[in-house]
Amino acid sequence: MHMHTHRLERSMDRLVTDLLGPLSLHRFGHSHDDGAADEDDVLEQFRKQARNVHEEVVHDHDVSCVEFLGSTGSGKTTLVERLVERAPPEETIGAIVGDVAGDDDASRLEAHGVEVVNVNTGKECHLDGSLVADAVAEFDLDSLDRLYVENVGNMVCPADFPLGAQARVLVVSTTEGDDVVRKHPLLFQACDAAVVNKADIADAVGADTDSMRDDIDEIAPEMPVFETNARDGVGIDALSSSLPDTPHAHTH
Amino acid sequence: MHELSIARSLVEQAVDAAADHGAERIDRLELEIGEATHLNPDQLTFCVETVAAETPAAEADIAVTSVSPEGVCDCGWSGRPAEIQDLPMAVPDLRCPECDSRLELTAGTECRLARISVPETDDTT
Repeated sequence: MHMHTHRLERSMDRLVTDLLGPLSLHRFGHSHDDGAADEDDVLEQFRKQARNVHEEVVHDHDVSCVEFLGSTGSGKTTLVERLVERAPPEETIGAIVGDVAGDDDASRLEAHGVEVVNVNTGKECHLDGSLVADAVAEFDLDSLDRLYVENVGNMVCPADFPLGAQARVLVVSTTEGDDVVRKHPLLFQACDAAVVNKADIADAVGADTDSMRDDIDEIAPEMPVFETNARDGVGIDALSSSLPDTPHAHTH
Repeated sequence: MHELSIARSLVEQAVDAAADHGAERIDRLELEIGEATHLNPDQLTFCVETVAAETPAAEADIAVTSVSPEGVCDCGWSGRPAEIQDLPMAVPDLRCPECDSRLELTAGTECRLARISVPETDDTT
């Protein structure tokens, strides 16, 4: 069993618990159906959109779905390129790419034969479930085996907005400094796996990857960590084999 | 950074609720924000005030209550997690104090309109 299945079940449990969370008895004039608690929580509304995306993509259409997030320049797009290069030729891959502006990342992935939907978030700092749902609608899901979602380069806001992927993979790089984990603890807690990219130049930039691992272990217990050098394709296989299988790899 | 879109949803909910009760204005908005979110209570308050302009909530007092994290563990432990030391913000320690497994949060990740106050009306049920 893969780590993501376990973590996903846990996050679903957490969502359900939120639905049953305490209601203020003195709440004034909200909808009176059983979904009242659900509708109350604004963040829960976004999580619900994410669950709908998950249901449609992963369950209804058997598409394996992984989100990558992290700073601008951490190596998210390069990492996805390396994963795409490793995919078997019969695998059809789609990507939703979020950027505040521009389509540079989208063009890079298109050059790898990936069907890309580019989402310019404009003034929003993150993708949310509804933006992803709109993007998903542009794909022929029946023809897809795998969908990568690349979030806007941002280490704060995406924490509060899951997108419905089976796993959220947080990509940080040694060039961000080895205190990057301690600076963004809530984002680490919101993700399912961490990639420490540019591990090959850790010494040169004075980053201690062991201390990054210790911080991750303290802040996000049980989170798997993968050290990579995405530019040269080092460490990608370990990450790749831990990601959710495509349906073709399943024995139904 | 995303407080504005959150504020819009909150004010919309409040205005809808007030309209359902025939109230012409909202005197008070009470919000609950989980400590384990990135929402900044001061920024959110400012955004709610801004969004509420020219709505029935324009003059409303805004009160924000922080909700402390609560966690549960598969081993049966539940309660308020400790806080991780030496971090720039309050972050719950997700390691179960009983068995070291990872906790799941059951509170601390919410952002909700807890209550609104409106003038008394005759048609309350």
